[in-house]
Amino acid sequence: MLMLSYLLRFQVTDEKQNSAKLTDLSVALLDADYPNVTQMLFLTSENKSMRLDWSAVKAIDPKRRKILVEDLNAAAECVPDEIRGDVLLKHDVLDALILDLLNRRTTRASDLLLEEQENFGLRLRAVDASFGAMVRRVSFGYYKRINEKELYDWKYVEFLRGDPSGVENGAGYRLRITRLPVGEIAQLASYVPYLHAAELLTLLPDPQAADVLETLPIERQVQIIEEFSEREAVKMFELMAPNLAADLIARLHTATMKRYLERLPKKKSERIINLLRYQEDTVGGVMTNDMIYASGDLTVAEAREKLREPLKEPDFVELVFVVDDETSRRLRGVISLRQLLIEDDDCRLEEVMHPFVQSLNPDDSAIDAAYRLAGTQLNAMPVTTAEEGKLVGVMTIDAAIPLITPATGGMQGVRIFS
Amino acid sequence: MPNQGNLEGLEPIEEIDAAGLIPTPRTTETGLRINIRGRSIRLRRLRRPPKGLLRWLLILGPGLIATSAGNDAGGIATYSSAGAKFGYQLIWVMVVLTLSFAIVQEMCARLGAATGRGLLDLIRERFGVGWTLFAVAIIVVANSGVTLSEFVGIGAASELLGVSRYISVPVCAVLLWYLVIFGSYAKVEKIFLLMTLVFFAYPIAAIMGKPDWSAVAEGAFIPRIQWNSEYIFLLVGVLGTTITPYIQIFQQSSTVERGAARRHYGDERVDAYVGSVFSNTMSVAMIIATAATLYVAGQNDITSAADAAKALEPVVGSAAKYLFAVGLLGASLLAGAVLPLATAYAVSEAFGVPKGVNLDFRRGRTFFTIFTALIVFGAAVALIPNVPIFPLLVGIQVLNGVLLPIILVFILLLINNERLTGDLKNTPIYNVLGWGTFALITTAVVVMLGGQILELLGIKLF
Repeated sequence: MLMLSYLLRFQVTDEKQNSAKLTDLSVALLDADYPNVTQMLFLTSENKSMRLDWSAVKAIDPKRRKILVEDLNAAAECVPDEIRGDVLLKHDVLDALILDLLNRRTTRASDLLLEEQENFGLRLRAVDASFGAMVRRVSFGYYKRINEKELYDWKYVEFLRGDPSGVENGAGYRLRITRLPVGEIAQLASYVPYLHAAELLTLLPDPQAADVLETLPIERQVQIIEEFSEREAVKMFELMAPNLAADLIARLHTATMKRYLERLPKKKSERIINLLRYQEDTVGGVMTNDMIYASGDLTVAEAREKLREPLKEPDFVELVFVVDDETSRRLRGVISLRQLLIEDDDCRLEEVMHPFVQSLNPDDSAIDAAYRLAGTQLNAMPVTTAEEGKLVGVMTIDAAIPLITPATGGMQGVRIFS
Repeated sequence: MPNQGNLEGLEPIEEIDAAGLIPTPRTTETGLRINIRGRSIRLRRLRRPPKGLLRWLLILGPGLIATSAGNDAGGIATYSSAGAKFGYQLIWVMVVLTLSFAIVQEMCARLGAATGRGLLDLIRERFGVGWTLFAVAIIVVANSGVTLSEFVGIGAASELLGVSRYISVPVCAVLLWYLVIFGSYAKVEKIFLLMTLVFFAYPIAAIMGKPDWSAVAEGAFIPRIQWNSEYIFLLVGVLGTTITPYIQIFQQSSTVERGAARRHYGDERVDAYVGSVFSNTMSVAMIIATAATLYVAGQNDITSAADAAKALEPVVGSAAKYLFAVGLLGASLLAGAVLPLATAYAVSEAFGVPKGVNLDFRRGRTFFTIFTALIVFGAAVALIPNVPIFPLLVGIQVLNGVLLPIILVFILLLINNERLTGDLKNTPIYNVLGWGTFALITTAVVVMLGGQILELLGIKLF
């Protein structure tokens, strides 16, 4: 086990007695739970920065602080542009902000623990964020104590450089953070600076990134979406729930918003546009228009078949709205998902539905509607037009909660139905 | 082109896929009409951005009020002393400093917008633990001094109003601590801000004091340095109080807090420039007002708040001391809460420990300890009897001036780091002005310290 602070005082020597000062180590960060050191960077006596594959290492001597390689001259010169793609332990990781997943918080990597492997390989094993680590750094390694209990296993650490354009979209599918629930990822994303959060979202698989983005405070959403390329941003809007996408897209510059709306698939952009027609403080401004409906004439079995595809997309699927027919969409009643599964196959929907359904008007005040919804103890109410009773959306309880309760730490309220 | 009239309710049904027909709209004509894929639609959710003067007022408003409050106890003491001792002859320094101040403020705002992080965060990341500890030490020393100034200011203001400082200082210390930690500070902040609006009396006093405007112009545009230790000392004090280290760090943190993004940085830049020009104009007004009353009357020494308050007599006569006291109290309370908080944030950032007033004590141990320690230190030292208040306040600003070049170096090095700031990094003009400011301030500091050291050794330089 070697601490980076100690390792950085080493000299690199070869069999011909040449010597150079070790300056940094590069790692293949996303390749494994404990990334391997791939290259070393050192400074020659002429002050030239060179890099050499770690496979050239023949021996490591901790006592004399030496690393033995075959031939120092086999090293290549270090071009600054090349370095950009690598992750360097001293330049990038040391002192950087890291996410400690076990404790769900951020901390700083004051020192790094490297583990020796066979054939003198080294891999990054743990982070030391303790006060002792800072003392060790300042004392140039003379203070040697390592408190095992204060080390963070690298497997449960996420490291972000703060450079969203420097990472490949979706490349972090192996990251442990992807296993956390969306709310916790969003919480962690709100602890780090916005560029780091943007980088994190770029690394996540798209659907998960969209879920996390939706959950962040709206100002943070705006900061992050502006860091994305147009293609990535459009993808996010495509995957977000339409009402939340509408909230975010409304905050962008009109020209940008228009461009994104035109690039989205037609169905999706129509949904968002239709929500944008309503003012923020109305039911239309908080409802979602992504709901499941079926004609009352269908039998339960037919409905189950027909709805198989539509059921895949929306967030809210608990209620299936029963309508006259697909075009006029006059609301007749509602049937729960449970009923769809247990009712007799041959009954028609209009026989088993609950016919007395209260509904909201899209121009009603959102807060009044929120109280009304909370009072009915239902988890959602349909939104219909005043004249024709046409189904245009549904207001769910999780949209109502933020309107009645004070803000819950800035997050976009409790997400029950997504 | 299709008819551009009101298309509401007339949308062809086939064109709308999964969503519904638009219901009869309300009569209010809000929102924006835009053209998407050949259809013109009114989107009521969108708000038309304010244009013209209203737009600028909304952007600048909060900043202007806040910077007028930036004239805290230390500032008032230093500017008043400058006006009383040297009349209009330090105004040229303020004119030059306005440019420097604007530049430094803007750089800090830019650093905040480009990186989304505070200054100490960046220092830790780029320069490592050793330099971070050094920077933390500097900031803690400088900020402790300023916190002390604020509590001294509270004491002086309360005594002008007839309340002993042995009552007001502890009460205010506990009050501020409580308000910040238990979250109601935001509400009270507005009251403190309102109190500082009193200082708008200074520009009025400057005019009503009927100064000799040709002398003012001479002092403002003809740089003249008096080579005596008092002048140099006060000069460094003016430097330190105009470009206070804590204000730069605070500016960067505020920019980050406001969620400024680097793509739309323009507004922040204007805010920084206008804020600093405005603040300096207020400071110059303070110098002129004091000079027109005290210097002209031959009273060159300010030792108490009552003396400084005389500058406002042209405006409100004998009520000057009450007006002054209200303003001083408001400004000191405002800064007295901001400073320990900003310092606690900065240090927690540097060490990577959790920060924020909403934390429970166990998680935010370092944060709360630093915050509390600074308040305790400020309040305790402010109560030491028989300390000449105004000279102390000026001395603390001189200390700020001495420490300022170090912080400037950090800021300049970081803003030029392309990897951090990308295309928001310094242009050559900025670098010239920035490093130029650094050079000037360092020279002034070196001359002052050099003179004082030599004096100790018995050699009088001036």
